[in-house]
Amino acid sequence: MKIAFTTKGIYWDSVMDSRFGRTEYILVYDDEKKELTNFDNRSISNEAHGAGPRTAQKLFELHPDILITGNGPGGNAATVINQADIKVFIGAREMSVKDAYEKYKNNELEGF
Amino acid sequence: MKEIVIISGKGGTGKTSITASFAVLGGKNVVVADCDVDAADMHLLMQPDFAQSEDFYSGELAVIDQDKCTQCGECADVCRYGAIPVIDGQYIVDALSCEGCGYCARICPTEAITNVELMVGKWYVSTIKTGGIMVHAKLGVGADNSGKLVAKVKNEAKQIASDTNKDYIIVDGSPGIGCPVVSSISGANFVVLVTEPSVSGLHDLKRVYQLVKKFKIKAGCIINKSDINKEVSKEIEKFLEKEDIVHISSLPYDETFTEAMTEGKTIVEYKNNELNKSLAESWEKVQLIVK
Repeated sequence: MKIAFTTKGIYWDSVMDSRFGRTEYILVYDDEKKELTNFDNRSISNEAHGAGPRTAQKLFELHPDILITGNGPGGNAATVINQADIKVFIGAREMSVKDAYEKYKNNELEGF
Repeated sequence: MKEIVIISGKGGTGKTSITASFAVLGGKNVVVADCDVDAADMHLLMQPDFAQSEDFYSGELAVIDQDKCTQCGECADVCRYGAIPVIDGQYIVDALSCEGCGYCARICPTEAITNVELMVGKWYVSTIKTGGIMVHAKLGVGADNSGKLVAKVKNEAKQIASDTNKDYIIVDGSPGIGCPVVSSISGANFVVLVTEPSVSGLHDLKRVYQLVKKFKIKAGCIINKSDINKEVSKEIEKFLEKEDIVHISSLPYDETFTEAMTEGKTIVEYKNNELNKSLAESWEKVQLIVK
């Protein structure tokens, strides 16, 4: 299973980014391969408008099963993510990626 | 650190006056972010010193190198915005009409056209009269606010708040329900909706709340000028109850709002009256909710 995180850095102890569209990075953890990969989203977060749908498109390509973020995507981005069959969990803010993952595993994050 | 965003949907409800009052009540423990940059006016009440400033770039603008231009006119033909008129025998890009799409630069046979990044305004970090910090921006003529600029102002405020251990970020949100507002409320801990009992006040409150609801952010509402139409006021209260929005307070219509503004003061600094007390109680309530 692949789990994506919106983050401000590329490591397990990096801080979560509570924004979806303008997140700095997307980290993807593959829990079968035990592998953490990252996508630098800063060019998208620099767009004047429409950052949400573009990040959603990127997520569509990365195709994780789960997305863990702070607030959840806005209307347009949510439409794309719903099509992709990605389950979204929110409320992971002001914590490290590692803590967000633990919280997800313990069912402590809210579904979107 | 908690991020509190104040939005209204409709203009003229008293959002900025209330935000500025909260900023004064919060004093040094608050970093203020003015994200209403289309018509930023909070600086009139907060007296920032504009200590630090940086240019803000957004979008692109085509520029024609007249030495390379052979006056073939192909650029003007393809431009969908009619942005390349001939002035004194030279093809010149009209900066206000150009959308920076890059079509002209692409087809120019002598490669005389390049797109340059467009400087649309400045953003500032200031110390304000409370001794607190405010992050704000000013846009040039014809430039529009964007999610990008709002994100920039907010991120800067967040960084300062975290570096200096402040408890609150108070964000004066952008109007409407478009990209800048999405960017204003994204990442917030609590949203304060400021409305007034008019048909459009209620309509815009519902509209902007749809957006807040999508982000699953807890919200509270201040009904300003609540006594000018008691019927609609009741309707608003019903709506708040149905949607589980905290009814923070109802403020009466009070000319203190304008009087204080005329003197460049916030309401809480202007006169010690009932309104002043209600605002202080509202701020207390908001702090308790986000704790």
